[in-house]
Amino acid sequence: MHIVSASGASRSSDLGSKRVVITGCGAICALGQTVDEIRSSICSEFSGVRTITRFDASAYPTTFAAEVVDFRPEDLLDRKQARRMDRFTQFAMIAARQAVASSGLDVSIDPTRAGVLIGSAFGGVETFSQAVEAMLTKGPRRVSPFAVPMTIPNIAPGMVAIDLGAKGPAFAYASSFASSANAIGEGMRMIQAGRVDAVIAGGAEAPITSIVMAGIAAMQSLSNQNDEPSRAVKPFDLRRNGTALGEGAAIIVLENRDRAMARGAPIAAELVGYGSTADAFHDVQLAPHAEGLARAMGSALAESRLSPGEVGYLNAHGTATVMNDALETEAVKKVFGKAAWSLPISSTKSRTGHLLGAAGALEAVISIVAMQGGLLPSTLNLGIPDPACDLDYVPGVHRSADVEAVMSNSMGFGGHNVSLIFRRHS
Amino acid sequence: MSPASREISQVRRVVVTGVGGICAVGNNAQEIWDSISTGRSGIGAITRFNAEGFETRFAGEIKGFEPAELIGRKESRRMDRFTQLSVVAAREAVAQSGLEISAVATRVGVLIGTGMGGMETFEAGVETLLTSGPRRISPFFVPMMLPNMASGTVSIDLGAKGPNFGTVSACASSAHAIGEATLMIRHGIADAMLAGGGEAAVTRMGIAGFNAMGALSTRNDDPQAASRPFDLERDGFVLAEGASVLVLEEREHALGRGATILAEIVGYGTTDDANHMVQPAPGGEGAARAMTIALDDADLGEEQIDYINAHGTSTQLNEKLETMAVQRVFGERASSVPISSTKSMTGHLLGAAGSLEALITIAAMEACLLPPTINQDTPDPECALDTIPNVARTAEIRFAMTNSMGFGGHNVSLILARTDQCTS
Repeated sequence: MHIVSASGASRSSDLGSKRVVITGCGAICALGQTVDEIRSSICSEFSGVRTITRFDASAYPTTFAAEVVDFRPEDLLDRKQARRMDRFTQFAMIAARQAVASSGLDVSIDPTRAGVLIGSAFGGVETFSQAVEAMLTKGPRRVSPFAVPMTIPNIAPGMVAIDLGAKGPAFAYASSFASSANAIGEGMRMIQAGRVDAVIAGGAEAPITSIVMAGIAAMQSLSNQNDEPSRAVKPFDLRRNGTALGEGAAIIVLENRDRAMARGAPIAAELVGYGSTADAFHDVQLAPHAEGLARAMGSALAESRLSPGEVGYLNAHGTATVMNDALETEAVKKVFGKAAWSLPISSTKSRTGHLLGAAGALEAVISIVAMQGGLLPSTLNLGIPDPACDLDYVPGVHRSADVEAVMSNSMGFGGHNVSLIFRRHS
Repeated sequence: MSPASREISQVRRVVVTGVGGICAVGNNAQEIWDSISTGRSGIGAITRFNAEGFETRFAGEIKGFEPAELIGRKESRRMDRFTQLSVVAAREAVAQSGLEISAVATRVGVLIGTGMGGMETFEAGVETLLTSGPRRISPFFVPMMLPNMASGTVSIDLGAKGPNFGTVSACASSAHAIGEATLMIRHGIADAMLAGGGEAAVTRMGIAGFNAMGALSTRNDDPQAASRPFDLERDGFVLAEGASVLVLEEREHALGRGATILAEIVGYGTTDDANHMVQPAPGGEGAARAMTIALDDADLGEEQIDYINAHGTSTQLNEKLETMAVQRVFGERASSVPISSTKSMTGHLLGAAGSLEALITIAAMEACLLPPTINQDTPDPECALDTIPNVARTAEIRFAMTNSMGFGGHNVSLILARTDQCTS
């Protein structure tokens, strides 16, 4: 008895022959609660980094982050449903609905041919820390029955699949801060292999909690310029001293190009390259020369069949830590050669904060928007260039440019590197 | 070289050249099989923390595991237990396979799935935060608790520089890792993958969290009888810890270096229920679809499956719906195809369950022995299956299926093929 007619995983693969396009984007972060709002914030050089309001951070070495303010999940989701979701899942649901609405995709026409892949570094960390606190202070029998299901990182793709009725492959990717970039790249592979026709792919994270703030601060990864939060995150600047946590979600709809064209879908871009590597070097330090990232970028570039000069913008991982920005610059030079010096690069983490597992997807959305609008986002707070970071980082003010293709980089603790390349669709 | 520019041969077949495992019934693959083949349970009273006051006070704990000796004192202290277990299992698998990773490092990837990640680290961190304040959190807290750290650490330990991430789908996580890794090799993205899962959720919060859901057995007076999948008297699953990793390799690559081939991965199906946060879809619809996709992928008919390693968690709902799913796919043959739940002996390893059960299935094929479901006293009339009750049974297994399902509605079915004749 055959319940579905289509084979899930094609054995005789023609991986690579199917083209994959982006037909919808959704996002929520400190810059805005829709893609349009985020675009406007980028144009007005607004920073979302500000003093923390979600908990009392006064005893913390860093007291700021990039929060989503005026977020009212109960207005956007069913009230009861919202209460049974951790904040990271609420973000994922809202971004996924936006993405699917903008794509016009009707998942119900062929539900088993639509997958949901959402990456997260931490999952429902707020729920989990509250549950541990309840257990420690009130006893094991006072833990909520929703503690486990609200915590597990896969509940974001699980709930989005329920919400949209998508019955194809659905699971989460975990590669710390490269999680959602992996989700997007692997989503492309699924479509290329003919396993599905559409993937709702991206990432979600809600780490602005007491425990994650304390943990990341202990690693000396956060800027502590508490007197001026909006100027604290300074990627590629000589004075950079760490990142700021951000929160939110970004989801894109990936589709088989032929299917998308046949239904007259709005095509925002084509995903033409994906590279994914491991440093196999150190749990939190980058490999020398960021060689793993260079391999990921090289692999994505080769797959895209673009020359380095055809890539018109790079959205850097650019965390504003001392090591990251210098080594990422080195990797860019290695991969792009002479073209590195004419490549506009920016780190939008200077304004969004670091969305950890959702960063790659948010930066993919920003890169796509940049390409569509001919608008290169700036790197904020870059006043004194680091001699080790001597490329064009679009300091301070965004720039107009006609761009054929954009690259977005992500790296994560554990030595995970991902590079994605989007191309204007023709 | 980019995947797309690589010449893709007509069919790249994926074989298993090494297995490693550690769980309550054994600290390596051989010990695990010795226990499973003789119907020995690994369940006992919890020793890892004081379980007084908890509804459930037993679990499937590993015995005699000394991470400092195996991994090094300093190194092991900087890993959560789920990562320690994953590293040990991966080393065993790679040693058996004889794969020289350094020679082909960029073509070897790692996918280790987990349901929860570094739970014990997380709990200790929250406790420190509450009692001593935010400035007393260790700089190792974040990297130790992140769920990708098993994959990351295994790649560092063994030098594998290819694609690397964790798949997370609750109790289907490591089955997803094996399935996705299989496709990466088929599609030419890698030539070898270390794929599996690690989990160490036998912690206060693990027990309290699943107790709160009413998901765990509370048979505290007889722990070894607590995991009784398909039995009418089942009252919940038994939480367990462990890891299992397989070395998957492109067949020509393995043959070219004279590797011993243990089995072939011939089918993979994965679906989502899109139904409910924690309950399976009515009629086992999503699980049935995963099995059907796996059969199609393997180009096999259901009549060719000689053994099914069930998800079989020992909860009332799971087995009812899993039985329905098997009936949907196997039709009249559902009541006669041998199907067992080895969770009756190992307990439920959550995210590491799928890969452990793949390891057990490979051992069963090699030994020509169907692993039993123990604790079968009162058959549940709603689970009219041949559960291989209590005692292992000799049989040729050419093709075997192993199923996994996770909270969130995730379903995975894998089909394995034996590659030579029975050895016993």
